[in-house]
Parts: sequence; C-alpha cells; structure tokens
Amino acid sequence: MSRVRADVSRWGAIAAAFLLIACEAPDPGADGASYPSRPIEIVSWASPGGPTDVLSRSLARVGSPYFGDQRINVVNRQGGAGAATMQYLSGRAGDPHVLAVFTASGAVNMATGRIPFGPGDVTPLLRVQMDPFLIAVVDESPFRSLDEFFAEARSRPGELSIAGFGAASAHFLGFSRLTALAGDPDIRWIAYPGSSDAAVAALGGHTDAVHSNYNTIREHIRAGSMRVLGVALPLDALPETRTYAEQGYDVAPVHWRGVVGPPGLSAEHVSDIRGRLEALIGDPAFDEYMSEAAMEYAVMEGAPVFADWLASEVAESRSELERLGLLDSSR
Amino acid sequence: MSLLLGGFATALQPANLGFILVGTIVGVFAGAMPGLSSTVGLALVLPLTFALDPQPALLMMVSLYMAAQYGGSITAIAIGVPGSSPALATTFDGYPMSRGGEAGRALGISLFASVTGGLLGAVLLMVALGPLARAALSFGPAESFGLGVLGLSIVANLVGRDPLKGMVSALLGLLFFTVGLDVLSGSPRLTFGTTTLMDGIGLVPMLIGFFAIAEAFAALARDPKEDRTGAIEGRLPRPGELLALWPAILRGSAIGGAIGAIPGAGATIASIVAWNEEKRASKTPERFGSGAPEGIAAPEAANNACVGAAMIPLLALGIPGSASAAVLLGGLTVQGVRPGPLLLAEQAPLVYALYAGFFIAVLFMAGVGLLGIPVWTRVVRLPPAVLMPMVVGISLVGTFALRGNAFDAWAALFFGALGFAMLRRGFPLVPAVLGLILGPMIETNYRRALTLSSGSHMTFVESPICMLLLVLAVASFAAPTLRARLTRARKTSP
Repeated sequence: MSRVRADVSRWGAIAAAFLLIACEAPDPGADGASYPSRPIEIVSWASPGGPTDVLSRSLARVGSPYFGDQRINVVNRQGGAGAATMQYLSGRAGDPHVLAVFTASGAVNMATGRIPFGPGDVTPLLRVQMDPFLIAVVDESPFRSLDEFFAEARSRPGELSIAGFGAASAHFLGFSRLTALAGDPDIRWIAYPGSSDAAVAALGGHTDAVHSNYNTIREHIRAGSMRVLGVALPLDALPETRTYAEQGYDVAPVHWRGVVGPPGLSAEHVSDIRGRLEALIGDPAFDEYMSEAAMEYAVMEGAPVFADWLASEVAESRSELERLGLLDSSR
Repeated sequence: MSLLLGGFATALQPANLGFILVGTIVGVFAGAMPGLSSTVGLALVLPLTFALDPQPALLMMVSLYMAAQYGGSITAIAIGVPGSSPALATTFDGYPMSRGGEAGRALGISLFASVTGGLLGAVLLMVALGPLARAALSFGPAESFGLGVLGLSIVANLVGRDPLKGMVSALLGLLFFTVGLDVLSGSPRLTFGTTTLMDGIGLVPMLIGFFAIAEAFAALARDPKEDRTGAIEGRLPRPGELLALWPAILRGSAIGGAIGAIPGAGATIASIVAWNEEKRASKTPERFGSGAPEGIAAPEAANNACVGAAMIPLLALGIPGSASAAVLLGGLTVQGVRPGPLLLAEQAPLVYALYAGFFIAVLFMAGVGLLGIPVWTRVVRLPPAVLMPMVVGISLVGTFALRGNAFDAWAALFFGALGFAMLRRGFPLVPAVLGLILGPMIETNYRRALTLSSGSHMTFVESPICMLLLVLAVASFAAPTLRARLTRARKTSP
C-alpha cells in the first residue's frame, strides 16, 4: 500500500515538474489582455548586496501590489560586463513580464563597445534614482576645495593620484568630465574593482583622494575621517559641501539607475508598466528605502524622454572616450 | 563587560538561537557543496533577512559565514573536492588521511581546528577592532603585491617530484587569469571577441573541473581494486592528539587573523599560507601532503579565524574584506545599520550581540559538525566510480546556479578534461589553481604600485612589509631545493 502511494507521489512529482517546465516557457504576446498574467522577473547583472542589487530587491519587495499581486522575482544574471543580462533581454523581446535594472555603467559599457549592445536593445521605462559623484580626501589632507586640489595637480603634474572604481568606467568618465573643465590636470586615476576598495586606498594614504559616492564613504564623513571637496549635485546629507557648479565647474556627473524592459515592447505596455512603476516608487516603503540609502529620485518626464536621454548619454560617453583616446576604433 | 553580557542576553533569545541554527545548517551545506560557497549561501538568505530585525538577520548571516568555512573541509576531506575555495589547502592532507581510512579522524581534526580558529578570530575581533583596522589600511598596492608573491611561492612546496611540471602548471594558471577585462585599463584580454569570456575564467569552474570531474575520470579509469583502502573508520581523533595540535592551530589562527583583516586577501590565501608555514615549521616536512594532522589543522584554523578578522574592516571602516563580507554589508545596509568608525559608539548593543553571536555560532558549528561526521564517513565508503559521477552532477548544477550562466558549466567540463590530461602526464593541479587565484592580486597591485611610484621599483623595497613578504617568498621558494641539497650532502658525506 505504502509502496503504491510512494509511486503515485513520485509520478505526481514528475508530472508537476513537467507542468512547471511548461509554465516556464516564455510566451510573449499571448497575454495582451490581462497583464500581468505571470510573475514578473527583474533581471540584474549586479552581484548580490551591491546598490544595484538592493534597488532590484527593493522594487521586488514593494512591487507586487502594483503588478496585480503577481510575485516579483529578482534574477541575477551576472557575466560579460552586463552582456549576459542584455542577451537575456534580447531573447525575451516584447515580453512585458521581464524587467531589468539598468545603470550608468551599462550605458558606458555600450559606449566603449565592450558589449555588443546599444541603447536600442532595451526599452527605457523609468529612471529611478541617482547617486551624485563626489571627490573626497582624508582628514589629514591639505586640500579644502576642488580648486586647491587641481592647483596642486597642475603644479606637480602626474604626481597626485585619485582612487576610483574601474577603468573607462562611469566613475572615470564622471571624473574626466570634471577635470576637463579644470584644464585636464595630470592626475593619476588608480582603478579598483570596487568602490570600497578605492575608499580603502585613500583611507590608507596610498592615494591623494578618492572618487566615490556618498553612500560608500558616508560613515567616514560622519566620523570626520574623510571630507568631501566637492559633490556633483547638492545632497541633503551634505549641506555644507559645495557642488562642482558652485565651485565653478559646470558639470554634474552622476551614477543613475533605472528600469528598462526588453526591446520591442508595445507603446501600450510601455505606458502601462511605467504607470505601475511610478506608483511603486511612490509607495512609502520604497521611499523609506530611498532615504535610508541616501539616494535622490531622478524620474524623467515620460519613458520616451528617458529613452532619448539614454541615447544621448551613450553618445556623450562615446565622444568623451574618443577625446581621451580611450576608444578602440576597431570596435 | 556588561555590554558583552547584554550581547549574550540578546543572542541567547530563543528566536535568535533558531536563526543561528538555521544559519549554521545552511552554512555547512553551502560550504560543503562544490559550486556553492559562503558568498552564495549569504546571497541566498539575503532576501530573507530583509523581513527580520537587524539582530537576528546579522546573527544568521554571521553563523552561516562561519559554518561555511568548516563545511568546505567536509568535501575536501571526504572526496578531495574543496567544497569552497578556502578549503583548497585542506585537500592536501585531509584527503590523503581519509583515503588512508581515517576520514573520521580527519574531519574531527578539521572541526576542532575550525572551532578553535573561529573562537580565536572572534576574540581578535573583540579586543583589536580599532588597531587592526588601522593596520589593515597600511596594506597598499606594494604590500598586497608582496603577499600575492608569497602565496605563489608556495608552488615550490606543491610541485611534487618534478619541479618543472609544477612550474608549467602554475604558468598555465597564470595564463588563465589573464583572460577577461583588465581591471586597470578596462580593455578585454584574450576574450576572442566574445562577451562570455569578459569576466574571465572563474575559480569555481576550475575547482570543480580539476577536483571533481578530472578525479571522476581518473576514478573510472582506475582498477577498482586500487580504491580499496582497507577498513574505513569513522573513529574520531583522541583528545590527546587534538591537544598536541595546539601549536599548529595557534599559528594557523594567527595567520588567518592577520591575512583575513586585509581587504582583498581572504581566507583562501590565508589557509594556503598557513599550510605552507606549518610545513616549514615542522621537523618532518616530508609528512605533509600525505595525511599530516597539522596540515589539516593549520589551514582550517586559518580560514575560520578569517571570519572574525574579515569583520574588522567591515565593522570599523565599513569596508568589506571579502566577497562574503560584501554581501553581509549589503544586508546590514538594508537593515539601516551602517558599519563604520561610529558603529561601536552608536550601536554598541548590536555590535556586542554580534560578538556574542560569534561564540554561540561556533558552538553550534561544533554540534552540527559532530552530528554530521558519521554521515560523511559513510559517504567516503561509497566506491569512487559511484560517488564521483554524483559529485560531478551536483557540482555542475552548483556551477550553473552560481551565476545562472551555462558557460561556467562548460568551463568546468573543459577543466575536467584538462585536469585529467594533466594528471595522466604527472602535472600537479594545485599550482594552476594558485596561479588563477593569485595572478590578479599580483598583477593589478604590481601595476597600481608602479603607477603610484611613477614607475620606480624602489617602492617595493621602501615598504618594510613588502620587503619582509618578498624575503619570505624567496625563502619559501628556495626551501625545498635547499633541503634536498642538504639531505644529499649529508648522505654523501661520511
């Protein structure tokens, strides 16, 4: 008897597995009427725990009621500097059940040609937040302003160094856009694989400054072990700090993050999903995450505006890379 | 003191004990399963912690991180596959001891060393948080370069009978690490125009390919009679034997505590260095690699001591010292807990609950570990021809799950074939793994240091720490040759 029951449950399990597989098969287009008809996936190329991952998970945590109470799953598809995520999106073209978190780094990777994808390979939906870049030094540093730092760099070309995330990265381009306005002083950019590694280099006195975001070094600012020479945009958390523009450098490079869909989403889906996302980020629980993470909202008027802006962002990064001679012309 | 007692009162609440137990069990499993690691385990529980209060969330994550370090040694000892990379050095002596029929003894030594190392790491965290964090900051590019070279010099102790083949293997590992996006210039190297190779060759596919798949091929190719290793005993080590391992455990814990606190170094390097230093300190170094108990105790003490030590830069500076600590930081951030210079002053109860949680987590690890040993020793009794294909299957799923990327599974198969071919021709595999682990650390820090010094190599000489590490590296590299010369000289002289 128990033998029979075991067999039954085994076959039941196998049948259930097949059912699951059948349900998992992507099925775009067939669900126009009652969106969303399946759980929503948020794809992210970020590694778990980082700010981009935390954004994806916060969207997923708060978002279900805004997507017809469907479950929202975060899927980390790391690999190929974001290419794995982009590849996945292309494979789900037109499917409104797949969303992805896209960032300034993704735009720069498109601009460098590192990944064989362009702005047309995603459907921009909603830019959510931005994280202004800043330049900080340790407390013992002699520098008090951007002018002082750049003046010293001009008088000792090639001797000052700044630690930052990545080479030919969004961070690096943010820095070079700023230094371009200071007459391109020769400051050595020391690339680190993570923002906090870069902060360590500055804290340990190995570099003269660090290019970072408020979140990465906020506790060191609060403790007084680091101070900010200038920040790209005014931050509530840094009322005393002067912005780049206030110091005469009229540029505001930020790291931004937003939500995109796969290519080929219909206009109806774009406005529908955007509406849902706008409501989602207005949720008090999401707002709490935003203020906890000291992120600024960066919503743009309408999805097409975000799309145009993304295209210009990629083009602008490209020309900046070209100016610096960092673009491999073969690609 | 009252703060610490308060911490214990918090951590001992039944609900918190439950979370520590869950963390411990998940941790042992994530550590033991090839392809998973403490980092992956933490990433898996991360979404669950969002719903918890900061204390249970932190306690669960820390106990998971701790238990995974011991968990890695289970597979390293039982089947010779490091369950996660910090257990790599444990395979050197743990697997031979278990093949010799003493799996229970090997696991017992590993558990005892892990527990002691974990406790010592926690004590270190408590008493030396501030000073060690400041010391860790002094580790710049030049010093990290020195540490990487020291790690690589250990190859000389692992090459076996034919040093040339060992060097070829190490160079192969160094070649593999150059694949991918160059961190310092951002340009792709040896990616052949594909995006799949952009992130480089993963360590996990190499570990699984070399130690699980290649070994499975080898087991199938062997005459089954060779695998009969006599009666396999689940006997645990005698207390006296464990006590005799104190020096090895202390040295291992000290090395783990020091290296673990340096951001970017980590438990894998610490445990390999610990194994090597133990061999160097031994009067009978020739026993190492064929089941020396100190060769299990030192690396296992080191990788568990690293857990407490990795919390030092995390708590005091808000800087994760390892990939696992980075996930932990993400979890804390979501909880609104901001590690950094002010944490101890502003959130003392939480920090002390964490300290207390460390001690309780180590005890839970001891309990869960002891209960598991009879099960694992039974696994060892399965014939390799049966066991290994199962290991390969599980590992491949694990590799795929890691990043949701089928390429990693293919890479593991590639390394399986390569590893099998290398084993057949007498090339040792561990030097290649060391090359892949240490290559990036050596190269990027070398280039960073030279950029900072305007190209002057004096920067490596001017740093006393770097100098010391390089001298140790030369000594470690030359030691086996010198020892062989000395033995020969003694034999020839009457």
